[in-house]
Amino acid sequence: MTTILGNIKGIYQTLRRRRGGQAQQDSQSEMNQLFRFRYALFKELLSSNSQLLTILSDIDEKLKGEQVFGFSYIKNQVNKALQHAFQMVKSLNVMSGSKYRGLYASLEQINNTIKEITNEHIIDNAPANAVGYQHISLQDADWAGGKNANLGEILNKINIPVPRGFAITTKAFHTFFDYNDLKDEIINQKNLIYVNEFEQLTKLSEETIKLIRNKPMPPELTQDLQDACRAIWGDNPNVLLALRSSAVGEDGDLSYAGQYLTMLGVRFPELDEAYKAVIASLYSARSLSYRSSKGVLDEHLAMAVACLEMVDSKASGVLYTRHPYNIIDENILINAVWGLGPYAVDGMLIPDSYAVAKDDALTIANKTISLQAVQLKLNPQGGVEELPVPENEQALPCLSDEQIRRLAAYGAALEQHYGCPQDVEWALTPEDELLILQSRPLKIENPKNFCLLEAAPIAGYELLLSECDIAAQGVACGPAFHVHQLADLADFPEDGVLIAHHSSPEYVTVMRSCSAIVVEAGSVSGHMAALAREFGVPTLISPEPAMTRIKPGSIITVDAYAGRVYEGEIQELLKADSKTKDAHMTGTPVYEQLRLIAKHIVPLNLTNPAAPEFAPEYCTTLHDLARFCHELSYKEMFQISDLASKLHGWSLKLDASLPMDIHLIDLGAGLSEKVQPDWQTVQLQHINSAPFRALLDGMLNEDVHGNEPRPVNLGGLLSVMVQQSFTPGHVGERFGDRSYAIIADKYLNFSSRVGYHYSVVDAYCGDTVNKNYVTFSFKGGAADSVRKNRRVRAISIILEREGFKVSVKVDKVDARIQKYPKSYIELKIDMIGRLLIFTRQLDMLMTTEQSVQWAAENFLAGNYKLHATEEAMESQT
Amino acid sequence: MDNAIRVLIVDDEDDFRETIVKRLNARKLQAEGANSGIKALEVLKQKEFDVMVLDVKMPEMDGIETLRHVKKMSPEVEVIMLTGHASVEFGLKGMQLGAFDYIMKPAPINELLDTIGQAYNKKRGTA
Repeated sequence: MTTILGNIKGIYQTLRRRRGGQAQQDSQSEMNQLFRFRYALFKELLSSNSQLLTILSDIDEKLKGEQVFGFSYIKNQVNKALQHAFQMVKSLNVMSGSKYRGLYASLEQINNTIKEITNEHIIDNAPANAVGYQHISLQDADWAGGKNANLGEILNKINIPVPRGFAITTKAFHTFFDYNDLKDEIINQKNLIYVNEFEQLTKLSEETIKLIRNKPMPPELTQDLQDACRAIWGDNPNVLLALRSSAVGEDGDLSYAGQYLTMLGVRFPELDEAYKAVIASLYSARSLSYRSSKGVLDEHLAMAVACLEMVDSKASGVLYTRHPYNIIDENILINAVWGLGPYAVDGMLIPDSYAVAKDDALTIANKTISLQAVQLKLNPQGGVEELPVPENEQALPCLSDEQIRRLAAYGAALEQHYGCPQDVEWALTPEDELLILQSRPLKIENPKNFCLLEAAPIAGYELLLSECDIAAQGVACGPAFHVHQLADLADFPEDGVLIAHHSSPEYVTVMRSCSAIVVEAGSVSGHMAALAREFGVPTLISPEPAMTRIKPGSIITVDAYAGRVYEGEIQELLKADSKTKDAHMTGTPVYEQLRLIAKHIVPLNLTNPAAPEFAPEYCTTLHDLARFCHELSYKEMFQISDLASKLHGWSLKLDASLPMDIHLIDLGAGLSEKVQPDWQTVQLQHINSAPFRALLDGMLNEDVHGNEPRPVNLGGLLSVMVQQSFTPGHVGERFGDRSYAIIADKYLNFSSRVGYHYSVVDAYCGDTVNKNYVTFSFKGGAADSVRKNRRVRAISIILEREGFKVSVKVDKVDARIQKYPKSYIELKIDMIGRLLIFTRQLDMLMTTEQSVQWAAENFLAGNYKLHATEEAMESQT
Repeated sequence: MDNAIRVLIVDDEDDFRETIVKRLNARKLQAEGANSGIKALEVLKQKEFDVMVLDVKMPEMDGIETLRHVKKMSPEVEVIMLTGHASVEFGLKGMQLGAFDYIMKPAPINELLDTIGQAYNKKRGTA
C-alpha cells in the first residue's frame, strides 16, 4: 500500500515494536496531525463541493432562459466550476495518496471539451488598434466590445444614425499593457489583498489607477489614434470627443452599467490621457468589488473603448421598447432631459416621460412634462458644464410629437432586429437629427401577483412610504441604514436597507450584503437601478423624504412591487415574493453556448455508488466528478478512521435508537474524556460536542418518531452490513442511511445522504456570539420535479419561519443563521434535528399542492404525526 | 538531527524564497533554496532531498518543465507546486506529472509545513 494508510500501518508496526507509553503518545499526536491534515483537505473538498453545486443551480436557473446573461457570465461561471472541480479532485487524491488519478484525465477531457466550445467564440483577432464603425458589426464584439459592435450593427444593418467615431480595440489595450509590462505587476499587487475589505480595496484601487495613468502611451498607439481621428474629422480643431468603455464580454446586456469612467469633451491632443483614464477605471474600487463578487479573473480582462464625436445635444435620454417591470404595459417608454444625457440616467433630475403605443400610427399614449431647471452642456473649453434651461423652455416638452414618433419607430426597429426588448440611449443633435447612442437588451420582469400593485396597504403595519417608483422588484426586510456620504458604506450592516437622498452606482460595493435600497431621488432607468436589478436588490425611489420618515436602525419591510415601505417585518409580503419572467434568452447565441457547455457540467450520470460505472473514467461532467469526489471523500475519511479504530481500539459509532447509522470523527474534545480507547461504541452521554448534542436532542425527540417504524436492533444487522461495505477494494453498497458526524467541542459537520438527496448541517456553537452559525443545505435528487419542488418549498417555509435566511435554487435549499448566543443556536440545531427525521416522511406525503403548506404548518405547530392529519385533510377535500 | 526533512525551495522571487528557507530552518527542517529550475536540477544532482517546493511561474524553465525533469531524475522526491494564480491547466499538468500537492500563494507557513510533513510521510511510506 503506497498510501497514507500504508504509513499508518508502518507507524503502528514500529510503535508495536517499541511498545512504550511514550510511543503511544507519539502515535496519538501523529494520528492527530494526520487527521488535521486530512480534515483540512476534506473541508476544502466540501467547501468546493457546495460552491460547485451553487454554480450548477445557477446555470440551471439561467437555462430556463429567463435571466439575461452574456458570454462573460459563461466564462466566469465555467472557470469557477472548473476550479472547484479541480480542487475536489486534487483534495481527494492528496488525501487518498493518489488513489484516483484517473479523475485528472476525466477532468482534463471535460476541460478540453469546454475550452473547444468557448474558443469557438473567444477569438481575439482585432485587425488594428483603431477601427471605424463602417467596418464593424455585432460579430466583432470580441475585439470591439459590445457597445462598439452594437453601434456598428445599428449603423450598418438597421440604417439608423449613430454618432461618428471609431472603436479603440482590445488590441490597443494589450499594446498598452504589454508595452508597459503592467499585467503581472497589477495581479501581484492584487493577490495581496482581500477584496472584501473596504479600506484596502480603496487603497489598491487608487494605487493601480495612478500606476496606469503614469505609464507612457506606446508611440505606435498614439499614432494610430490620431490617424483614426484625421480620417473622420480631418484637422477640425472644434471636434470634441467622448470616450466610453466598451468592455469585452459586456455583450450589450450584462450591464457593467456605469462601472467605468466616461470622458466627455476630449480634444484630439488630449486623447492619450483620456484613453488611459478610461482603461484605468477597470480598477476603480467599485469595479474591483463588482468583479470579485462576480468572480471575474484579472487574467481575462481587456477593454475596448468607443471614441465618439460629441454632439452638443439639444435633448437626450433613454428609451425602453416596453415597460421594464409591468408586463401588461406594451408601450414604448421614453425619458428625455434637456442637454446632454448623463442627467437622464444619473438621477440628477426628473426627466420628461412619454409613452407611445406600438400601433401603426405610433399613437402617443401619454406625455408627462417635467419642469427642468438645469441641463448639462458641452463646454467649448473642453469638458461639460451645468447651465440653466432658458425659462421659456423649462415647461416645454424636450421632443416634438413628430420626434417622439420617429424615436419610437427607431425603438420598434431595434426591438424587431434584435428580437427582444431594448434599453436604448438617444440624443437629438442641434440640427434636429435623432441619433442612437446605445441599444441593449432590456431585462423584463413580471410580478406574479400583479393585483398587489392595486391592493390596499397591509393592515396592522405602519405605512412609512407609498407610491414609490420601482427600480428593482422584490420584497425585503432589514434594519434601516442611512447613507449620507460614501464613507458611510464602510460600516454597512449585513442585510441592512440602504436609505439615501440620491441614487448612486457607487452603492454597488454593498449590494451583496444589502437587502433593499430606498432613495429619494433617482431614476428607474438609472445606473444604480440597473445594478440593483442585476444583483436582485429590491430598490425604490421615493417621492417622499425617506431619510426623515425612516428611523436609522428600525426594522422595515420594503415592498418593491407595490412601491411601499412598512415599519416592521411583514411575513405575508416576504413570502409572496416570487416572480416569473419572459424566457427571451432562449435561442440567442449566448444561450446556445451555455446549453452546449452545460452538457459537460450539469448532468449527473453517476447516480448509483454501487454500480461498476461509479468510477473515475465514467465521470463525463463536472457534476459527476463532484459526486464521485464527495462520495469517496467520506469513504477516505472513514477508511482512515476505521483503520485507526482497529489500530488503537477506537470505534466511533454512536449507539442510539435512530433510523440511521451515525459514525463519528472527533477532531478534538468532541467526546468525553471517559471514552476509553478500546470502546466500540459511544453512548449519548459521552458526546461532548455542544452542537452535536443539540442535533441529537432534536433527532431523538419522541414526538417526531411517532409515525415511523422503529428500527430493530440497529447495532446488529446494519452495522455488519456497513462494516462489509467498507472492506477495501469493495465499492460500498447502500443497505441503509449512513450519516457522518465530524465533531469538536464547539463544531459539528453532520452529513447524510439518503438515496439521491443529501443534507448537511454545519455549525459552530460556542461562547463567542460572532463566531456562531448554523448552515443547513438540503438538495433533492431523483424524485419527479413536482414533488422535489414541493419538498424543497415545505422545508424552506419552515426554515424561513424559524428565522433562517433561506435561498432556494431549483431543488436546493440553503439556509443560514448566524451571530446568535449559544442557547439560541442550540434551539435552532434541535429544530433541524427534528426536521431531518420529519422530512424522511415528506416524500411520500407530497401528493398535493396543499400538502406543502400543510406539512410546514404541522411541523411548526409541533404536530409531527402526519398520518392521522392527512386522513383528516383528505376527508375535507 | 540526522532525520530532519530535507527541503529544496525553488522560486525566482528572492524575498519569498529566502524567507521560506529561513522559516523552515527555524522549525528544524533542513531547507535550502534555488533561484531557477535549472539551478534546482543542478543541486538535485549533488544532493538528496525529501521534498521540493516548486514555483509554477519562473522564467526560462517553468515549474511544470522542472517537475518533468525532476520526476525523471529523482522520482522519489515529493514535489509541492506553488502558484500565484489559479489555473486548472497548470494544476492538472502538475498533478498528472506526479506532484504531491498544488497550493496557492501566499500559503500560511503552518499550512506549508503540514503539507511538507505529509509529503515526507508519503515518501517515507513508499521508501
